[in-house]
Amino acid sequence: MQRFILEIGSGADLYGRDYTKAALRALDDALRHSSITLFHALNIDHTAMKVRVTIGVQEPDLIDQSAILAAIPRGEPELIVLFGGHNVDTRGDGEKTVVATCAVEALLPNQAAHFKSVSHQNE
Amino acid sequence: MTKTVLVFERGTGTALRSGSYTKAACRAVQNALWHNSINIAELFGAQKSDMMIDVEIACQDPNAIDVDDIAVEFPYGQITVSAVQGGLDIAHPDMPERKTIIAHAAIKVSLDLIAQEA
Repeated sequence: MQRFILEIGSGADLYGRDYTKAALRALDDALRHSSITLFHALNIDHTAMKVRVTIGVQEPDLIDQSAILAAIPRGEPELIVLFGGHNVDTRGDGEKTVVATCAVEALLPNQAAHFKSVSHQNE
Repeated sequence: MTKTVLVFERGTGTALRSGSYTKAACRAVQNALWHNSINIAELFGAQKSDMMIDVEIACQDPNAIDVDDIAVEFPYGQITVSAVQGGLDIAHPDMPERKTIIAHAAIKVSLDLIAQEA
């Protein structure tokens, strides 16, 4: 399997301290800045794709992993939760804004055997 | 001196190939600053240069952040930069020495305000 895209996103829960809410927003952010049109263009099934999601928050044990996995729309999902993200005391009163970091890696088997790329250099 | 935090802005930035935490952090600051337009100083009849701006960068190697490069991103204000552990590094699938860096910037904008009789 070969990684063909890395999509990056961030999400926050401003005052609810909900790491899972922030992580779901980060995942949504990552997914919504690009669209992989090759599946439709080349009639490749989404199930051929593996999707590895890495979430970073300041308290990784508090992430509801099943909720994140359920939000991965297609492909065979894998979830890794690490120490990352950012917590900010924005008001100076101990209340925290929690920010989650999300990286989505999509992988497919190498496609060179199925599709040949015709070079048009120096035409 | 009553330093009053009036606005919080956040941003995320990346370095895809350079391996530079500072570059990712600068982009995070730009993402934060150019996502909104605030006229907070004007609201209080203050100068833009009166704004006290505290920036906290979160990345996986906070010691690698060049605080002077971060401060330079701000068009005005008195800038204080700090860095903590956070964000994410994602390894390149084939080249272990290369990684994609994701950094966050948290920006708090304050003025020294004293309540007055209206």
